[in-house]
Amino acid sequence: MADAVRVRNLVKRFGDFTAVDRISFEVRQGEILGFLGPNGAGKTTTIRMILGLLVPTSGEILIQGRDARREIKSVKRLMGYMSQQFSLYPLLTPAENVEFFAGISGLDRKAIRAKKEALAAGLSPSLMKQMIRAIPPGIRQKIALFVSMLADPEILFLDEPTSGVDPETRRHFWEEIYGLKQRGKTVLVTTHNLDEAEYADRMLIIDRGVIIVEGEPRALLQESRAASVEDLFKEAIRRHEAT
Amino acid sequence: MIRLERLAKSFGSLRAVDDVSFSVPDGSITILAGADGAGKSTLLKMIVGLVKKDGGRVFLRDKDVSGDLGRVTAITGYMPERFSLYTDLSVEENMNFFADIHQVPRARRETLKKKLLEKTGMLAFRGRRAGALSGGMKQKLALSAILLASPEFILLDEPTTGVDPLSRIEFFNIIQDLKAEGRTILMATPYLAEAEKGDFVIFLRKGRVLKSDSISRLKKTFPARVFRLQPRLPVFEALKSLPPEQGLRQNVYIQGASLRCLEPPGKDFRRLIPHTKAEEENPTLEDIYIYYERSAGAPEGREA
Repeated sequence: MADAVRVRNLVKRFGDFTAVDRISFEVRQGEILGFLGPNGAGKTTTIRMILGLLVPTSGEILIQGRDARREIKSVKRLMGYMSQQFSLYPLLTPAENVEFFAGISGLDRKAIRAKKEALAAGLSPSLMKQMIRAIPPGIRQKIALFVSMLADPEILFLDEPTSGVDPETRRHFWEEIYGLKQRGKTVLVTTHNLDEAEYADRMLIIDRGVIIVEGEPRALLQESRAASVEDLFKEAIRRHEAT
Repeated sequence: MIRLERLAKSFGSLRAVDDVSFSVPDGSITILAGADGAGKSTLLKMIVGLVKKDGGRVFLRDKDVSGDLGRVTAITGYMPERFSLYTDLSVEENMNFFADIHQVPRARRETLKKKLLEKTGMLAFRGRRAGALSGGMKQKLALSAILLASPEFILLDEPTTGVDPLSRIEFFNIIQDLKAEGRTILMATPYLAEAEKGDFVIFLRKGRVLKSDSISRLKKTFPARVFRLQPRLPVFEALKSLPPEQGLRQNVYIQGASLRCLEPPGKDFRRLIPHTKAEEENPTLEDIYIYYERSAGAPEGREA
């Protein structure tokens, strides 16, 4: 089976700044890939290029074997995205957000109603009545995840979904991500909470537009004899900065 | 010292801060932790007067400063959760703007600015537009700006949220330098690994103080033993297949590729979880937080 995502020699320049510098990697079908790196390393830029939101300077992107630039319409349907910033409308309720985004995704009335009911089944009635801006960030993120799954995409991109989320809620969120994998979905997730990288099947570390580490967390830890992904991360960045 | 006495604030029917009292000792780093919506931000805003109290009193240097905003802001620096400087201005221009607001005398301004930007590692970026700074650098600039007023008390609302791990460490080092200078710091954070380096912690839950103490004492008096288990199944599977033993689920959680198992006195939860390896460890602040938080009941919206 073709990889869910295959990126070859991808480059993005903004003026004379190279944000992404000839990176190649793949996201395998059905895996959770942890995508790590410092602020400004190129994570979000890479994701935006894969999603077709940003035109690469050069390089190739294949989504399930199809050229992402030539077959943009059909491959877009395969992908869902939850952005770093909340992608929900703060002045709408959870149900209104679902209605809006489901409409954009082309769901019919019956399907939209079913989605709203599914959301309501998992939220307390008092929260369902609140505007998004009044809902705690951790729960907002769960609603955002629900919304990004409305069109039932095969491949999901989650950009810092647990940023600023408390320790308990972060874990509940990861249980949901794992649930997606069990349903056969492919997930790419970026995070600054490095302990979370160990929940992923494989991980990448990107720094200054270049991939500097790639592999299975456990194998990488054994190989490097680092006590934690955090130590591994620090060491990898330190070595790369020295080059 | 910052002393809060029975602070209260409701928004409609929601009690955001509900009868909260605690003290932040001079020259300490005190961490404010708790679930989203526990009341951390509201509490900080009430101290500096950005949110009006329904009741209670705030003491700074043992003086009741409730209602005396001028006095509070003269000795307190507050850094909100969201970056609140001007993104279209350069680092230097932002500093100048805040120096004006804080009425830093012209004669002292250049030296002070240079000293602060040096301290936060921002001197090399003084010409850069604030909007073009990385997340970590923005926060360091925001901190530099509030330090222009030479505050004795520093309140930080999740200053490292969205900041990468290395910049987070750097930021916390600066906080520790500020403490070494004798300043008093109250900082809300969702990162308990980072909070480990603080002196005191206040866990908030649904607007009330769930637990508060010095971090070392909380660890010493923690009633449960802590084990790191390598489960036979992948962690998420292991978590799902826990047997329905009373109290078990409440005391087990995932941490990377292992399970943390908290055993209150008289309990032997380990034997109920098929594992290949079990190591006893000292409790972390995260263990302690999760233990007390879960003992108090499932948080609101958990079912979401």
